[in-house]
Amino acid sequence: MGVPVSQMWTVASYVLKQRLHGRKRYPLVLMLEPLFRCNLACAGCGKIQYPAHVLKQQLTPEECFRAVEECGAPMVSIPGGEPLLHPQIAEIVEGLVARKKYIYLCTNALLLKQKLHLFQPSKYLTFSVHVDGQREHHDFSVCLAGGYDQAIEGIRVAVERGFRVTTNTTLFDGADPNSVRAFFSEMMDLGVEGMMLSPGYSYDKAPDQSHFLGRARTRRLFRAMLSNRKKDWVFNQSPLFLEFLMGKRDYPCTPWGMPTFNLFGWQKPCYLLQDGYADTFEELMQATEWEKYGTESGNPKCANCMVHSGYEASAVNDTFNSWRGFVATVKATFSTIYKDDEAAEMLKEPVHPVHAHNPLVQIGDPTLSPEASERMGHPRLEETRA
Amino acid sequence: MSEPQRHLTADDLEVVEGTEHHRIEGWVPQLASEAELRDALEKAFDYRGDVTITRRDGSSVEGYIFDRRMGATLAESAVRVIPKDSREKITILFSDIAALAFSGRDMAAGKTWEAWVTKYWEKKAAGEKGISLEPEKLE
Repeated sequence: MGVPVSQMWTVASYVLKQRLHGRKRYPLVLMLEPLFRCNLACAGCGKIQYPAHVLKQQLTPEECFRAVEECGAPMVSIPGGEPLLHPQIAEIVEGLVARKKYIYLCTNALLLKQKLHLFQPSKYLTFSVHVDGQREHHDFSVCLAGGYDQAIEGIRVAVERGFRVTTNTTLFDGADPNSVRAFFSEMMDLGVEGMMLSPGYSYDKAPDQSHFLGRARTRRLFRAMLSNRKKDWVFNQSPLFLEFLMGKRDYPCTPWGMPTFNLFGWQKPCYLLQDGYADTFEELMQATEWEKYGTESGNPKCANCMVHSGYEASAVNDTFNSWRGFVATVKATFSTIYKDDEAAEMLKEPVHPVHAHNPLVQIGDPTLSPEASERMGHPRLEETRA
Repeated sequence: MSEPQRHLTADDLEVVEGTEHHRIEGWVPQLASEAELRDALEKAFDYRGDVTITRRDGSSVEGYIFDRRMGATLAESAVRVIPKDSREKITILFSDIAALAFSGRDMAAGKTWEAWVTKYWEKKAAGEKGISLEPEKLE
């Protein structure tokens, strides 16, 4: 199952309406963070490092609904923290479905199977499950042995019960494109609707500052991964954004496209940078000095960012701002293979992370022989070991 | 950023090293000048732990600084704090601040990828299985 036509129509008509009203800056997806606490402790995560009294707090359903109505975006992504830890998450989702918002509930799925009965399948609700790669890679990435198996079980049960399910994957320096390509096939075999990808980004609140891809490296990685695609791979993202990641396009940042609301208010200027907070959406849009952000601004904090929260809305704008963009989107929708012999050759190159401590090269036990590793079911990791 | 990358554009970068964070837990900065006050409060805004602000009237607030608003003068600049014991958002003008202490634990300290990798291999070498990081208990 792909993205429902109704969702595509809702987004398209919304964007066209903004254009007809002459709005240059408008939100496309609200990033609604109802809480910061999480049941994972991923090393390097910059979203959960707060004092206990902040982690214990959460937005009320009414605060969530007010933010959604203030913002007016047709889609709402609910990240966190882990949203399934929110005691009223079902009420929040129900209220957003009633408002006909397309919701992406971003979860690590550790609680998904246990809490699935709280939700009803709907075209408006998608569980976007955080999976960072194949089993060993994911477990290492989220610092939880068995995390992958729990996520997969959550996906399996949710798909079985008729929910829309996608995956979301963040890739860091040293990611092995061959492993990621194998992972794409594994996810599609599970029956997910599509997959979402983003490169990691060294936003300054993250405690880890050493494992983020520069733009040149990001483009090579995504070109290697996303060229010569398997026919059954489906990506639940703007095809032009994926082309941007592959280095086929360039876009300026549109941080207002995915504004963030959380316990502190409306986050300036984007989902990852925290340069202060506005009390209202209007204040966010009016008071933020947008020209100071984005790679093109020269702001060093934005130097390596190619993240969806800054650039996917740019790609969607491109689709609707010109016939050229629209035609490119149609072409990318129906011609998804991206044959590229040079990219195929890149897959044969060993992975050379800049930094020594890399999850995908460190993860295999260096004391194991290749034969032993293969018996453990990790043949694709051999080439990438340090 | 390493020397060879210094003259490259953002599009040429292989890896970006990000922001260097200093250990400032427990620090009580001197606030003798306006520049010192502004610098300390900017660091407090970036800090991932609670701070204690003492006002000129002698009252104090311990909490998390989630926002700061810079104006031309100290009376036009402010930090916004969520106190440790409530969800209320308090605004404190720079001009009202007499002292600042980085009193709470730095919640980001030691949570780097390197720290996890080191811990992982130490535990693995010790024969442990199911090696994981647990979220901290919320006291």
